[in-house]
Amino acid sequence: MGIKSVELPGIGTKYELETEKGDKIAIVFMDSERIQLYILEKGSETPTATELNAWEARRIGSILTGAIIEAEREAVEIAFSALSDLRISIHTYIIGKNLAGKSIRELAIRRKTGVSIIAVSRKGKNVINPPPSFSFEEGDVVVAIGEHNQLKTFESEILGI
Amino acid sequence: MEQIALALFICLILAIVSKSLSFPPIPFYILAGVLLGNSGLKIIGESEVFHFFSQLGLIFLLFYIGLELKPERLMGRGSVFMTSGLIDLNVNMLIGFFAALAIGFSYYEAFVVTSAFYISSSAMVIASLIENKKLILPEAETVVWLMIFEDIVLVFLIFVISAETQHPFILMLKVIAVVCLLFAIVKVVKRPLLKLLQRDDELPVILTFSAVLFAAFISRYLNIPEVLTVIALGSALSTTNPRAFERISRPFKDVFLVLFFFFFGISIDFSGNLSLMQALIISFVAILSKLFSGFLVGRIVHRTNSAGIEIGANTIARGEFSIAIAAIYGSEIVSATVTAMVILTSIVGSFMAKYSSKLKARFD
Repeated sequence: MGIKSVELPGIGTKYELETEKGDKIAIVFMDSERIQLYILEKGSETPTATELNAWEARRIGSILTGAIIEAEREAVEIAFSALSDLRISIHTYIIGKNLAGKSIRELAIRRKTGVSIIAVSRKGKNVINPPPSFSFEEGDVVVAIGEHNQLKTFESEILGI
Repeated sequence: MEQIALALFICLILAIVSKSLSFPPIPFYILAGVLLGNSGLKIIGESEVFHFFSQLGLIFLLFYIGLELKPERLMGRGSVFMTSGLIDLNVNMLIGFFAALAIGFSYYEAFVVTSAFYISSSAMVIASLIENKKLILPEAETVVWLMIFEDIVLVFLIFVISAETQHPFILMLKVIAVVCLLFAIVKVVKRPLLKLLQRDDELPVILTFSAVLFAAFISRYLNIPEVLTVIALGSALSTTNPRAFERISRPFKDVFLVLFFFFFGISIDFSGNLSLMQALIISFVAILSKLFSGFLVGRIVHRTNSAGIEIGANTIARGEFSIAIAAIYGSEIVSATVTAMVILTSIVGSFMAKYSSKLKARFD
């Protein structure tokens, strides 16, 4: 039951898999960057099919591989199949007036909440892994990583929302 | 200027309507041209600029086809590719030729009609395979490669048709020389070319556009069909980064090709000697002929009747290539015949492809 890949000129590439029970699954990556997913049950003549965009396909892919990513507006939560009790969230926030001019060290973000700021986007430029001396400006978009309740604390204690 | 804008705008509306009905838009573009052009209301006429744009449409279509014809990709295809391609070729060329002779065309005209009769519309066939979600079927694979086979045959057909006006041997020498030259140039400049394609400014677009125009110019200069040179250029460039070239040339192809179909419609004269009966007969035979050749391919390659019906139903539609052949070589009456054939086969083909499963159920 290996996966067979077939080139379809003018369309894209088709990957085919026959399951243990004899159902057939085909995934077609089209040049248009859309993806068609087919299932043909054993003994049936007509397949069921759906067409996905790249994002939908990635979501399904990650569910199938066991790493569940739950999108919650500007947040993703990642769970690893091997570490079932570890669920990490990554969240983006926009810095308001109240934090303008304050540095990461001054706010003691990690000590107070356990959350780490892993990136800041300021006017289209990104700072990855900002140092403790980094001071925020109003309108900065920060990417914070931590466990769900740590992020909740971050929101209430630091951001004041 | 305003005529081209009007033509494009009408085509845009037609495309929206036809696509919402999941119908191929090509016959509608041609019909719109017929209705507004010489045979119809005479609102939009032929003009120099319009003609040039429509030429560009044809050239970019063939360049785009060439990009899919990567030499080593074709070498590696097995016997299924050859078998199905040859059945399709022989059945449809024979039936088409006799049908065309029977309704009174001369040998030369019959050959032009037959070439248009033989070649299915890759655009419509592929769009309908995707639209009707048939890609899981092994038959879909056979059909897609059949389209590639037909594209290769197209090159030979154009060669044969144009050999009517000049000595075939000299023509062949010129074509071979140009093809070798194009492949050699691409081989030499491959590295800088790949680098240039990666830039995100206007240079890759300028490069693509000028290369295609230049290839067309060379063919005019050497008096060989532009179509052949442009396909050869596409095929030579497919050895570099075909995806990039496809991405760049697609907008040109899309816009100018619509004008090409529309312009073709304008130029058709239905007032000639074509009787409606002749057009209907050849279209009807064209449908039956593809059903028959598809059925044979299905029986031989997949060994089932249902595969045969599927392949037949999916290959009925004639389109862009048939129109291209008629536009380059057709007399008035040939063009009118091919137009009728394209319109009827694409409509019937689209229905047959959609309802092929019902068709199969009936025959099982």
